Amino acid sequence: MAVRRIDVRERVMTRNDELAAGVRERLRQAGVVALNLVSSPGSGKTTLLECTLEQLGEELDIAVITGDVQTQNDADRLARRTTRLVQAVVTGGACHLDALQVETALGALDLERTRLLFIENVGNLVCPASWDLGEEAKVVVFSVTEGEDKPLKYPKMFQQSRYAVLNKIDLLPHLRFDLDQAVANARQVNPQLRLFFTSAITGEGMDQWYAFLREHSRAVAPA
Amino acid sequence: MAEERLDPEALSRLVSVGLEVGDESGLEVANLDFCLTALLGSPPFAGAVPVITRLHGDALRVTYFEVEDGRPED
Repeated sequence: MAVRRIDVRERVMTRNDELAAGVRERLRQAGVVALNLVSSPGSGKTTLLECTLEQLGEELDIAVITGDVQTQNDADRLARRTTRLVQAVVTGGACHLDALQVETALGALDLERTRLLFIENVGNLVCPASWDLGEEAKVVVFSVTEGEDKPLKYPKMFQQSRYAVLNKIDLLPHLRFDLDQAVANARQVNPQLRLFFTSAITGEGMDQWYAFLREHSRAVAPA
Repeated sequence: MAEERLDPEALSRLVSVGLEVGDESGLEVANLDFCLTALLGSPPFAGAVPVITRLHGDALRVTYFEVEDGRPED
């Protein structure tokens, strides 16, 4: 039988990108700053958010969308630290959040009472780099237990991120982790990357993180 | 994408799907190939194969569908 070729040349992400643009516009209209937290599993995203919610949850009207492959454990942990809504998205096997899931989750949030939205993505340094969720910026979290070559092994994630948090720095005395090399690797991949150095356990470096969030969420007013 | 662009009866006659995947697309080509082969082997498809072309950069796009059109070859 004859075979007919149908030319397509369509980006696989077209539909997601359209939805993400809608999410971004909706957040802009409401004056909400959205930060998409991306990392490998176990980097400390949830602990970082627990501290952030305790410290700034009310002050900055923070809302959170969490993404997990299974369970709502992260959302449950965060909900214990805030009276504000934490919206869980269970992806049911998918290794990343997509813009449709975020758009749906926004429906459960009171954007009028939100200034800062964290999207805690699924722990994965590969796929979430390719999915625009309508966020203002990606924040890549990596920890000193992961090795200083993470930025070189997962360059797209570090290129796509505007900010990086190097977490668990309280463990530095116990590890053979070259902090200067880690920073050099991150800057090699993305010279514009702004770095924070934190321990969500001891509180070291958290003041700089909080100051950044305060400054950043003040910069945006509802349209 | 195939369901949007092809008639429902043509889906089972899909022979191959062309894709271009950049080395900075964030996708592991072997994993994509495995997933698409499984997807295209299940209804409404009937064993179409992905044909992946690797590129430099962050491209990730479907380039063509090949469909048996039911007519004998010339």
